[in-house]
Amino acid sequence: MSRKPRTCIEIEADLVAAATGDAEPGAVRRVEHHIDACAPCRGEFRRYREIDGVVGALRGAPAAAESVARAREGLESRLADLKSRLVSYRVFPSPLGHILIARSELGVSLVEYLGEHTDLGASRLSRVTGVDPQEDGAEIEALHRELLEYLRGDRTRLEWPLDLRLARSDFHRTVLQATAAIPYGAVTSYAGIATEIGKPAATRAVAQALRWNPLPIVVPCHRIIGTSGALTGYAGSQIGLKQRLLAVEGVRAMGTRHDARVARNTLYHYDRNDQHEYCLPTCGDIARRPIGPVTLLASRELAGSLGLVPCTACRPDLHPLTV
Amino acid sequence: MMGVQPFETIVGAHHAEIYRYIRRVTSRATEAEDLSQETFLRAYRAYRTLGPEANVRAWLFAIATNLTRNHFRSEKRRRTAHLAASVEGREADPEGPEDEARFREAKTLLESTVRGLPLKQRLAFILRKIHDLDYEAIGRSLDCSAESARAHVFQALRKVRLSLNGHALPPETSPTNMEQPR
Ligand SMILES: [Zn+2]
Ligand SMILES: [Zn+2]
Repeated sequence: MSRKPRTCIEIEADLVAAATGDAEPGAVRRVEHHIDACAPCRGEFRRYREIDGVVGALRGAPAAAESVARAREGLESRLADLKSRLVSYRVFPSPLGHILIARSELGVSLVEYLGEHTDLGASRLSRVTGVDPQEDGAEIEALHRELLEYLRGDRTRLEWPLDLRLARSDFHRTVLQATAAIPYGAVTSYAGIATEIGKPAATRAVAQALRWNPLPIVVPCHRIIGTSGALTGYAGSQIGLKQRLLAVEGVRAMGTRHDARVARNTLYHYDRNDQHEYCLPTCGDIARRPIGPVTLLASRELAGSLGLVPCTACRPDLHPLTV
Repeated sequence: MMGVQPFETIVGAHHAEIYRYIRRVTSRATEAEDLSQETFLRAYRAYRTLGPEANVRAWLFAIATNLTRNHFRSEKRRRTAHLAASVEGREADPEGPEDEARFREAKTLLESTVRGLPLKQRLAFILRKIHDLDYEAIGRSLDCSAESARAHVFQALRKVRLSLNGHALPPETSPTNMEQPR
């Protein structure tokens, strides 16, 4: 049994590549040169050319069209399912501790205070069913930036598309929608929202719905307080957060951590009178009437933007509040 | 091309080819269906993070290859697939003129040789010879260099050549003529 010459062994890889149309031009020239002089390699070359022909036939043989179509159909339905479940999220630091923002195809679905935690395990995203969370930087980046601007007071609106899928019921969604309509710098009460949605007796249920608000800050539940002016619950019992968010909007609160109240004497008052007039807190007994029927406003600019005019009795235009 | 295409466009453009790729590697329709779907579900999750200049097709092949390799990592599954392949391999159709019959026989033999190749060689061979991916892309799919990818294809061709040893083939075949009209 004769050994293959060394040159033939060395050129084998190039020869196979050249015969199957897969070689660099330099290699092709080397192979041509070699097989001109070497009959066995010429035979090998021809053999690989033939094989390449058979290999080429494999390309042309498509899988049955109907199995492709069936696989595609299955894909479409699995993809639709994934899209409906998929939420991308990111946790980032903020002056209020770590905050998680999550969004789906439809819009932002969760803003959550995580305090010192930075992991998904600390989030309700890891506990709700029917949701497939995925960490994603780029998507959330712009939201993150806007939220920080908001917390600095450089931005008064977060005009984000919202996805209320994490709300617990349609009633909760209704409460969240009514809350979202309360403007920057305005304060009303749980009772006020209950009246707004046509369920004046449902004050406690409203408070409960806002307790589970999946979109704090964006759906400004911090602007909803007790009728007496007490800040009451926020994100569990983090009244301090509520106080800070209100302060950014120019709404001041006084008192201890556990019993903080808005400082009504620093806010304008509007009692939904037919003349659309807003008042100083010193106008009659307006500062002693329950919040809800009375809306509190941080500034005259806000009152003006809501289409309100200065009360002709107390003249907030002539005696603006000095903070 | 500017910007990022909607994912539906990606599905439309590449699903059939990815399915056929996996179908050839796994030999079983149900596995191919599942793995090709899984490929696009994974792709969907990562799609938004993909740069606008990325080669989407090569990227999809890499995902598909990865999933397929994971799938085969279980030795038991591999054996089952092999069994199915040897059954399906007998579907060759002996009709036709002599040359064509010989050619078909060679094709069947080639297919079963490819199925019997070590997984990396098999994947490299199919990616290069059936789907025309370049060696850079094949290397990325297989977690190896372009040179190793080339070496895998070379080894695969040597084995094919051995298995077709003594098997007469029409010289300088023009394979497209031998194929049945679609
Ligand atoms: Zn030689
Ligand atoms: Zn007044």
